[in-house]
Amino acid sequence: MSIPTLQGLQTALSGLLAEQQALDVTGSNITNSDTEGYTRETADLQTNLPITIPATNSITGRGAQLGTGVSVGNIARVRNSYLDAQYRTQNSALSNASTQAEVLSQAQTAFNEPSSAGIASQLSTFWSAWTSLADSPTSEAGQAAKDAVVADGKQLATTFNQLSAQLSTIASQAKEQFTSLTGHGGEVEDYANQIAQLNHQIKLAEEAGQQPNNMLDRRDLLLDKLSSLANITVAEQPDHTDTVTFGDAAKPLVEGSTVNWPQALTEKAGGQLGALLGLTGPKGALTAIQTSLDGVAETLATTVNEHLSKPFFSGNTAATLAVAVTSKEVSASTGEAEGGNEAALNIAALRGGAAEQDYAGLIGQVGSEVRSAKDDETNLQTTVTAINDQRQAVSGVSLDEEMTSLITFQRGYQASARTLTAMDQMLETLIEHTGTAGL
Amino acid sequence: MTDRITHEMVTSSLLSNLNTSLASLERTGEELSSGRTILEPSDNPYGAGQIIDLQSQLDGLTSYASATQDGISWTNTASSALSSINNVVARVRELLVQAANGTNNQGDLNTVAQEVEQLTESVKQDANTQYAGQYVFSGTATTTAPYQPGANDEYQANNETVSRAIGPGATVTVSSAISTLLGNGEASGDGKLLDTLRTIVKNLRGGTAEDREALGTTDLTNIDNNTETLRQLQAVAGSVTDQLQTALARNEDMQTSISESLSNTQDTNMAEVSVAYSTEQAAYQAALRASATIVQESLLNFLQ
Repeated sequence: MSIPTLQGLQTALSGLLAEQQALDVTGSNITNSDTEGYTRETADLQTNLPITIPATNSITGRGAQLGTGVSVGNIARVRNSYLDAQYRTQNSALSNASTQAEVLSQAQTAFNEPSSAGIASQLSTFWSAWTSLADSPTSEAGQAAKDAVVADGKQLATTFNQLSAQLSTIASQAKEQFTSLTGHGGEVEDYANQIAQLNHQIKLAEEAGQQPNNMLDRRDLLLDKLSSLANITVAEQPDHTDTVTFGDAAKPLVEGSTVNWPQALTEKAGGQLGALLGLTGPKGALTAIQTSLDGVAETLATTVNEHLSKPFFSGNTAATLAVAVTSKEVSASTGEAEGGNEAALNIAALRGGAAEQDYAGLIGQVGSEVRSAKDDETNLQTTVTAINDQRQAVSGVSLDEEMTSLITFQRGYQASARTLTAMDQMLETLIEHTGTAGL
Repeated sequence: MTDRITHEMVTSSLLSNLNTSLASLERTGEELSSGRTILEPSDNPYGAGQIIDLQSQLDGLTSYASATQDGISWTNTASSALSSINNVVARVRELLVQAANGTNNQGDLNTVAQEVEQLTESVKQDANTQYAGQYVFSGTATTTAPYQPGANDEYQANNETVSRAIGPGATVTVSSAISTLLGNGEASGDGKLLDTLRTIVKNLRGGTAEDREALGTTDLTNIDNNTETLRQLQAVAGSVTDQLQTALARNEDMQTSISESLSNTQDTNMAEVSVAYSTEQAAYQAALRASATIVQESLLNFLQ
């Protein structure tokens, strides 16, 4: 039994083609080494079906199989979906913590403490003004002291008003951000639509027996991005579409090529959206800070006013606190005599009292919240970086490795070409040097 | 799984480490340039609350110190007025003793009476002493002069007290109850200083035997009684001044100690932070140099 004369040429050709394809894959990996979301690919080389040569051995009568070369069976994406799930979980938590840290830091900055322009310092100046008024309480000699009490009081009230307004602005900005992310044309909808579309295309491609690596990469990248908005879970269906649940929404956000959006979310949604809802909710940190500040303003107004016959402050929230008297109406005493100063002394003695302690407590509270959010952010950042490194270790393009592959496949190509030459020379021998009888 | 190290892993981890180094360098630089360790409450939430508390205490001490100074000036003004009244009373007593010895004719006594009348006016002037635009002997009616010049000897003001804040929750009464010394004049017959002085003048001018008798007996006794009341007022004023001065000294001590606590809480330890800054700077430079070298390494460099 013989083998086809030209089989050797075909075998060598299959080597050339396979090595060339592998070189192409390597080239694609190298050029995409910095592409976001790119998963490295490998060309899976497979042996071609052998030619069976029956009974070559005259003694045993056993046949043999002759290899016919190589082909690329599959261009595989090297990816670990378990790491993807881990990455997305931690990424949601990170995005949640960094949103909290960012918004609370803004609130902390609004307080402007410790500084000479914060409420604490102005409160202190206000008490000192009352001590000065107690020294010269009469309208003639003490007019300057009365002016100072009213001016310092107004400054203090204005600072309360401004701080309250700033905190409201921060809260309403957080709400706006939530609305723009979840609203029509927002990121959630945009990502969901793209994922649904990719689901559809991937399904079609898989049905046609193609390997839509590029689309799979894009879908995974979109899922990564979606995970920073809220907690997500991804379940791959038998038809290769991904079903995506989003935060604590009742229905899956994406199911096949269908998008279920808008849906209601709560602060338990996690990610950026959960943080925004949590901060501005009725029990949220921003609301609590605003309430505490209102409490400080009310305590200040009440404790000062109770020592005076004509209330000094009006309003019982930080936003409405105002000085209710003119400097002519300020009196250091509830009695009729102008020189009395017991009220001024009593008010000056409020230094270090309830209002100030509550305020210092509030500053401590804001500081602790910012600190813990920032600590969370730092820790989660480390975790996310570690998981991402693991993902990169699996899916990332290593240029050193690709360079090595490049050389390997190049040499492989050269060797196949050499095989081709050898076959050619063999045939030359057959054709040129054996058939002279007929010439 | 971490056998494969990709180029991107290397660059992103180098970059993140460089960022961390630079962030801590920046933070240390900020501490150095601002001189503060707590720039935001989140740097040290407990410390931030403490700073607010300590700063307020310190501001309070400054304002109490100025109130105490004011109180000292007030009581000094009152004390010198009381001393001046004391001189007058001593002079009147001297005149009274001379007038009572019986060798004086009525003309001499009339001259003495004139002098006593003038001295009575000066007592009222002393009682009307002002400090910073406030009558110091008027109780809380500090815009009303306690006595009118001329014949009316009635006390015009009230008997309320005026206080100064000398510390947290601590006040000291700086006003003196001058009406317990001067009284409401002859019309009231209260035996106080003004009544006594007017009676002396009347007795000097009276010319009767009873008048002369009274000069050496009841008038002298009344003057002595009033001198005693005056001494008591002076003693009270003196003790208030002492109390204020003690408070002021204590206030200064407290300021020193609270400033120290405040500085310990909020100020940068320059030596420590400077050393940390140099260390971080060196570390950052080393990281930069190492990164620059590592990033360039690749198999590409060695392939021909």
